Amino acid sequence: MSDRLKLGDLEFSSRLLVGTGKFSDVETMIGAVKASGAQIVTVALRRFNTNEAEDDLFGPLSQLEGVTLMPNTSGARTAQEAVRAAMLARELSGSPLVKVEIHPNPHHLMPDPIETYEAAKTLAAEGFVVMPYMPADPVLAKRLEDVGCASVMPLGSAIGSGHGLSTRELVGLIIRDSSIPVIIDAGLRAPSEATAAMEMGCDAVLVNSAIANAGDPAAMGRAFAEAVATGRAARQAGLMARLDHAEASSPLTAFLSNPE
Amino acid sequence: MSNFPDWLDPTPYIARVEAAGRRDVLAALAAEQPSITEFAALLSSAAADELEAMAQRARHLTRGHFGNTIQLYAPLYLSNYCGGGCTYCGFSSDRKQPRHKLTEEQLQTEMSALRQMHIEEILLLTGERTQEADFDYLHHCVKAAAEHFPKVTVETFGMTEEEYRALNDAGCTGITLYQETYDPALYEECHRWGEKRDFAYRIAAPDRAFRAGLRTVGIGALLGLGDPVAESISLYQHAMHLMKTHWQGGISISFPRLRPEAGGFMPPHPVDEKKLAQIIFAFRICFPDVPLVLSTRESAAFRDGMAGIGINKMSVASRTTVGGYDNGCAEDEGQFEIDDGRDVPTFCAMLRAQQLEPVFKNWDAVFR
Repeated sequence: MSDRLKLGDLEFSSRLLVGTGKFSDVETMIGAVKASGAQIVTVALRRFNTNEAEDDLFGPLSQLEGVTLMPNTSGARTAQEAVRAAMLARELSGSPLVKVEIHPNPHHLMPDPIETYEAAKTLAAEGFVVMPYMPADPVLAKRLEDVGCASVMPLGSAIGSGHGLSTRELVGLIIRDSSIPVIIDAGLRAPSEATAAMEMGCDAVLVNSAIANAGDPAAMGRAFAEAVATGRAARQAGLMARLDHAEASSPLTAFLSNPE
Repeated sequence: MSNFPDWLDPTPYIARVEAAGRRDVLAALAAEQPSITEFAALLSSAAADELEAMAQRARHLTRGHFGNTIQLYAPLYLSNYCGGGCTYCGFSSDRKQPRHKLTEEQLQTEMSALRQMHIEEILLLTGERTQEADFDYLHHCVKAAAEHFPKVTVETFGMTEEEYRALNDAGCTGITLYQETYDPALYEECHRWGEKRDFAYRIAAPDRAFRAGLRTVGIGALLGLGDPVAESISLYQHAMHLMKTHWQGGISISFPRLRPEAGGFMPPHPVDEKKLAQIIFAFRICFPDVPLVLSTRESAAFRDGMAGIGINKMSVASRTTVGGYDNGCAEDEGQFEIDDGRDVPTFCAMLRAQQLEPVFKNWDAVFR
């Protein structure tokens, strides 16, 4: 029995997605992607460089076997810009996946819920497999599902912060109500956090900084792959119930069994 | 001074800098969300004794937000005609030197030389507004550059909001505009004539640029001109003002340091490398997600050391003469002396040796 991550018509066995923008060089990035076993790799359109340049990320990634590229629209501050970027990225990469990334504030990079919703609606209608990076907002998640997104990608914490799953409570609500995959994107620092996210029912996680900024990015890619697999396995095995209180030896409701 | 906004006044914080001790510095280094109080502590002489700890913190924050990358750009001087009277500048209109502006053909060959160097982000520069190099000329050059470079920004005279809007429509992504000094009396003394004499008009130029839709504004003070502590505090306040007022605006902060130049100007408050590094670290610690820029004014050794530990964006292989890349005006005096004259391959090899990826293209014309 195979446990596959389904996104639109596409299926993947790996539940670890990786980012590419922060590595010290292309070889290190490729090494880490391979070691992570990721089958979906995101790359910013603005890092596509078709002028045979050494900083081009698209060329080397497109050579990788078994990897589907998920171009992202990072840099866009409106839905209109994101749609244009997605169209161009699809033309250049041939990939149906798009990570809608709209952060109008170029400093904290928090996703704009309004523009993200508009872009997702348009791109889903255009036949893209739409993967929106979003604030951890359970209402927005359902709105995005309603317009045809293939997944939702709520943030764990700010991009690059390494603050982990600080949105845990809200992500819990998103998971409970979602009919499409929920993928934690941004903020994870340690593989144990990825395990925890998977244990609570996330369908996948996306990691960039934690791998790119590790002492040994390839080894960290492997560690995250194992952590994600472990978390998934634990989720499927069925975790024991958590009891918030010890069972009282003198039950408070004993009086209810007294004959009237 | 009536045209000096209250929010820019460094006076209330200068005493904090002077009073800060080691404990204040350590508290600032540990602060989760450093404010101007922490910034003041980090500028203090007590903080100078904790430079290594500041560097470690700055490196951690820089790598966290920007990754193991350095964003590269190159300046292109369009013209050295200048209507300004800045005492410290080689382009000032009372300096005797040959004046040029790029012809259409020269513009194309300069751009093509930069393309061959793999440059993807270009900063177009002129002096203050003149008949020879006016808004129309600049507008034309922006349009031409936008055909070849995904990111075009300008460093030139302060403009009206309408002019900034027209530049935006022509394909310009942002501007760099230093206040030079945030001390209004010193400002008046250094800027002897021309449009630039108006302190208030210049301080509001970044606001006009953002309102006109431009995405990025680079700000800075010419270090060496005024008291570096006061200038840094005002620069901090200017950055905060812009971030609070224009939530979609991207600011960057540069650290141009006045070095001895052609006209014999000697900076009244020289800033040595240690002090410059301390100022840069203080900004990084308080603005972890703002691009911090260092140009080729600085030495190769200093740039190598600062790359990735505070600084995340650098110019490379710059020429500060008009026609410097392919039109051989080598005998001219540049706007300022270049210290780091390494070419692109040499500079990139240094970055790679430090496990930093040189990034040329980090923008796309699709976002215009």
